[in-house]
Amino acid sequence: MKRFLNLLKKEIKELVTIQLVISLAFTILLFQFIGRISKKEVQKALGVQTISALDLDNSPASQGLLKGLESARFKIQRIEGKTREQAIDIARGGESKLLLVIPGGFSETLRDLKPSEIETYSYMRSFSLIGARGQVVVRGVISALNDVLSDNFLKDRLPGLDPASLKNPIKSKDFVIVQDRMAEGSASQIAGLISSQSLLIPVILMMIIIYSSQMVISAVAMEKQNKTLETLLTVPIRRTSIITAKMFAAGIVGLLSAGIYMFGFQSFIGGIGEKAVQAGAQGGAATVMRQLGLTFSTGGYLILGAALFLSILVALALAMILGVLAEDFRSAQNMIMPLMFMVMIPYFISLFADINTVSLPVKIFILAIPFSHPFLVSQNLYLGNFGMIFGGLAYMLIVFVVLVVFAARVFSTDRILTMKLRFGKKKSSVA
Amino acid sequence: MDNVLTVKGLKKSYGNQVALAGIDFEVRPGEVFALIGPNGAGKTTTLRIIATLLTSSEGEITFLGHDLRKEPDFVREKISYLPEEAGAYKNMKGMDYLHFMANFYARDAEEEKEFVDRAVAITELGDRLKTKVGTYSKGMTRKILLARALMTKPVLAILDEPTSGLDVLNALEIREIVRRYVKEGTSVLLSSHNMLEIEFLSDRVAMIDKGRILDSGTPQALKDKHGAKNLEEVFRSSLR
Repeated sequence: MKRFLNLLKKEIKELVTIQLVISLAFTILLFQFIGRISKKEVQKALGVQTISALDLDNSPASQGLLKGLESARFKIQRIEGKTREQAIDIARGGESKLLLVIPGGFSETLRDLKPSEIETYSYMRSFSLIGARGQVVVRGVISALNDVLSDNFLKDRLPGLDPASLKNPIKSKDFVIVQDRMAEGSASQIAGLISSQSLLIPVILMMIIIYSSQMVISAVAMEKQNKTLETLLTVPIRRTSIITAKMFAAGIVGLLSAGIYMFGFQSFIGGIGEKAVQAGAQGGAATVMRQLGLTFSTGGYLILGAALFLSILVALALAMILGVLAEDFRSAQNMIMPLMFMVMIPYFISLFADINTVSLPVKIFILAIPFSHPFLVSQNLYLGNFGMIFGGLAYMLIVFVVLVVFAARVFSTDRILTMKLRFGKKKSSVA
Repeated sequence: MDNVLTVKGLKKSYGNQVALAGIDFEVRPGEVFALIGPNGAGKTTTLRIIATLLTSSEGEITFLGHDLRKEPDFVREKISYLPEEAGAYKNMKGMDYLHFMANFYARDAEEEKEFVDRAVAITELGDRLKTKVGTYSKGMTRKILLARALMTKPVLAILDEPTSGLDVLNALEIREIVRRYVKEGTSVLLSSHNMLEIEFLSDRVAMIDKGRILDSGTPQALKDKHGAKNLEEVFRSSLR
């Protein structure tokens, strides 16, 4: 144990370099910085915005439209006694992003139930989506005014009838059924919420796998490149301890690094305010999900955690073998690619296809990739497919054991010094 | 006295390529035994097999009466190996590297300190041991690696081309250190293609070429047998 801890300490020290600490600190600071800037921009966009308005009609109807905009948190800068062209120039010099021109005769055409036109001029001083929000809100206000005007007309002409029923005579009442549970709600909204929640799993998994695998591959490749491996293999420590120490160190540092990156990423997302937006939009769907039993229990979270943990172990064991194949640090960087593809394939397939409906060969292919199972666990937990869940966990465990046994065999034989894969040549050779 | 190491009929092949075609030799207690021969003769393969890095295809190796193939862990406790192109962890300070390596062999902190003190004395690097190994010259790196190999006073030190690539003064220092440790009881098995160096350093030598031992004995006995002035002439005569 003393020797193992000696090696583990060395491996962690080798991985936690000043460059890594600086890179992590820089990333967090960068995310925080971008998050704060984004937050300010979002606050600015959501706050009071200035709109220039040229009212050529100057009627109660046009005044009503502008008041409606003021109540929608817009500051209206009225341009008085100018022509359309003059107003366009004036607004260009100001801070308004939008100029609204209400033409003469606006109220009369409204009264005659003829289509009325108002003109909007957007000043695109940046191309961000948030910057274009002003026009979207103006359209919303106009749409609301259209509703009010058409409702008033219908009430005048057809008293006693609900205008809403007249405009939309057919309404749908949506129900969602999951196994034996049913609740009122929209299927697309539920699917959207589940997929947005599941989206975090591959992101976390990919971050951890990239970090840990790269570290373990590099740890072995660097031993080869620096000519320290031969010495290490002749000191009195078991080969399995060398493998385990490298995997443990990479796992610990990889988890920490991924955690720090995720924290930084969350600060960035938090800055944009997506959390608040999501909470507001999905509050109703969350209630429906609870009614449908689409929530994780403590046991569910434990199963999900076990799936993530096992997939990380599989990645580390695979990375260890790939590290042995690498000749030096540079070729080790290339070795990470097959691993990355193995993580990305199930992710992209899960985005576009349903594992349960794909053809049998594709299904076998997906299930054969150990990293598919953490993606499938959350959906199977919702649907109560425990056979699939535990089968997946058992499969990952078997793959991990096989890979570790293989890695230990490679480390215990000549292959550790003689096995290598060369990139950029016609053939891959195991010499 | 029993041999420290006995090698009988050692063979090694990589696929169809024969690296060792059956070699026999033994290393006695407190002697320097050298394998000499040109590049590709099979010296490094032999040393790697004895250092438990490679497995033999055929043959028998006994270390202190233990079968090397069956008890590699026992062998690793008692030997130390210095590969020809060995390196040390560049991000570690010299002193940290010595502590790290000593920790694998020492039973307690006191013994670890004893090993490290010995290594510090061998290197004669003083305060430079407080700096990172990556900043060392080739000679300094080789000294710290040799110190690492000798600090535990191993039963058998296996040194592959110990002075390869070093200047005259550094090579001389390394040879003196090796001779000093042999006097203290460590047996040495080394390889070199520098036959003049071997003549100065070794008690007995074996001439190896194409995976076979051509001749072996003390440098003087070999010179007498072949009527040669030095080991280079002995080697040429052995090839005939």
